[in-house]
Amino acid sequence: MLRERLHRAGYLADEDLATTVWLASALQRPLLIEGDAGVGKTALATALAQSQNAVLVRLQCFEGLDLAQAAYEWNYGRQLMAIRMSESAQNGVRHEESARLLEVDVFSRDYLLERPLLRAISQSGPCVLLIDEIDRADEAFEAFLLEVLAEYQITVPEIGTIRATHIPQVILTSNGTRELSDALRRRCLYHYLDYPTLAREIAIVKSALPEADTRLVEDAVQFVQRLRREDMAKIPGIAETLDWVQALFHMRHTRLPEDMTAVLGTLGCLLKTREDRFVMGPDRLRQLVEGRRSVGVAESSNEQAKVAA
Amino acid sequence: MTANPAAQAACPPSERLAGFAALLRDHGLTVGVSEQQSMLKAAMFFGPVQEKPLQAAWRAIACHSHREWQLWPDVYERFWHPEKLRGGVKVSGQTRPGRNLRQSVQALHAQMDAAQLPNTQPSGQQAAPQTAGDMPSIGQDEQDAGTPRAQGGASRTEALHQRDGQMWLPQELSTLQQLARKITAKLQPRPTRRWRVAPRGQRLDLRQTLRRSVAWGGELMQPAWKVKRLEPPRLFILADVSRSMESHAALFLRVARAFALEADARVFVFHTRLAEVTPYMHSDKPAIQEKVNAVTAGFGGGTRIAASLQEFARKHARAQLNRGSRVWVFSDGFDTDAPELLAAALQEVRARGARITWFHPTRQVPAATALQRSRGSIERFVPLASLADLAAARQVLK
Repeated sequence: MLRERLHRAGYLADEDLATTVWLASALQRPLLIEGDAGVGKTALATALAQSQNAVLVRLQCFEGLDLAQAAYEWNYGRQLMAIRMSESAQNGVRHEESARLLEVDVFSRDYLLERPLLRAISQSGPCVLLIDEIDRADEAFEAFLLEVLAEYQITVPEIGTIRATHIPQVILTSNGTRELSDALRRRCLYHYLDYPTLAREIAIVKSALPEADTRLVEDAVQFVQRLRREDMAKIPGIAETLDWVQALFHMRHTRLPEDMTAVLGTLGCLLKTREDRFVMGPDRLRQLVEGRRSVGVAESSNEQAKVAA
Repeated sequence: MTANPAAQAACPPSERLAGFAALLRDHGLTVGVSEQQSMLKAAMFFGPVQEKPLQAAWRAIACHSHREWQLWPDVYERFWHPEKLRGGVKVSGQTRPGRNLRQSVQALHAQMDAAQLPNTQPSGQQAAPQTAGDMPSIGQDEQDAGTPRAQGGASRTEALHQRDGQMWLPQELSTLQQLARKITAKLQPRPTRRWRVAPRGQRLDLRQTLRRSVAWGGELMQPAWKVKRLEPPRLFILADVSRSMESHAALFLRVARAFALEADARVFVFHTRLAEVTPYMHSDKPAIQEKVNAVTAGFGGGTRIAASLQEFARKHARAQLNRGSRVWVFSDGFDTDAPELLAAALQEVRARGARITWFHPTRQVPAATALQRSRGSIERFVPLASLADLAAARQVLK
């Protein structure tokens, strides 16, 4: 069921992943997804929110991310303005009781700027909280997250504890650039998202680019799958495959071009480092493409045999 | 789900699950009470008939890292479907599937660990299963169920510490990585001329303090401080991969790789020429040795340490070799160049402010003339023939 809904949202999840996502929702546990860049970790959260008509709240992690950027911050400017207005009201003609500003007033929810974590737990409807690339954040921030992920609450000293009225579905992604703490890992369900199989990747590309020729999609995906087996500094992900097929489609190719220079010209979509471009010279490229044509060779030999007969 | 329905009926599902959790723990997975409760909940959601989604759910609950994720299918099949394992020979209810040597040794260690743990309580009652070996086997006689299984007496710790680097088990690699992390943490950071904002510090950050005062209507309520920015020292590792060092190259490259990952070290290999292999160190492929061999193929015979060090200092690390840099040379010190050249090359590296540590595979400092003449430039000699040597050197590498 969830798998179908994700499919309708444009994300082709395999059965295991769909089960895990469903289980995370059923057990109200965060889901930690690890995998190489470009395998569809972030896209899963987007599709999940779309499939459930839920609000997607995204927190992009980076080094130095702190509480003020992730959870909440007091709106100092507004607080100051309110104080000034209160002062001027008291000094002026209006001396009504209502014009007086109390300390508790400036430290109320009205003066609180909601950052992604607080926004997620304040939602009244369904919500998907995506904490993207958690491995980029500092360990101190990870420790802060423990309270949020375990209790779905944030403590603001001036106000008190704000509890989630509607538990958000939390998805954390990590590229594995830093080892996450055991405490965080144990609070989450875990799924390792690997590169898709040939059939699944073809289906993904066909789903994203339905107008592209089937032969082109199959050839290109087979090529990318072979490329992934090469020893590369940056292995192309699904996003790269989509970019490449789109580039070839816009160049009006209906199958992989015979001319290697045309392929080389578009390889910038797949190969993102200088070393990979260097290793993937025309010769190596031809070998990979010829690998693609191993079936084609048999077909052509059959055709030749027919012609000879 | 189990091959033997009679045994399944005899054993309550919660006990079977506890046995499975014990097996998972034996394999290094962190499966505590909360995980077992979640697994039980998942089993109630899906029921025993829907095995595939149940397996996916349990995997998501029990695994917490990529290593555990990869380990899962093998452990799962081993417990729930021992009959599927190829060439399996049942020993005490467990199977020994056909594996490569590394996996077999790993399994042997797991068995030995299991055998060392007591599995009966003093009162004679059956203990709660703590390891996979404690669980009664499927179809096993009841008399046999509580019998401790003697499966060897070798110590894993001993084996780990005396391994020569030719064969690496996952736990050894993780030990090496942890060791590298600890040593890296102990390397003294170098203060730079830059400052960074800190909650407490020696100097007031006026710009940041004024910026913060905006929130308080111009009152300097929240001062910002500055402290010196510290940078970890740059680490360069030069590993000798000449023929005389062939038997040690695997260990050297493993150690180099650990530091490349932990300390962002730049790694070079040399015998008659020098080549940087840092990019290879970052990919987790077993064929590092082959790649390095490919890089150094055609370098010719002999070992030109002095020329390699000169090339390193003048060409490769010219801009990065400065005060506080650490240069670690992994070599026996036997140089085909003239002895005085090595002293000069090391002096050149030392003159740039770098601190040189020489790791030698022998117990004693090598007696090579070139090395003896260069002792003044080398800060420390460290024997490195095994992981235990590196662990011992942890105290002196600063």
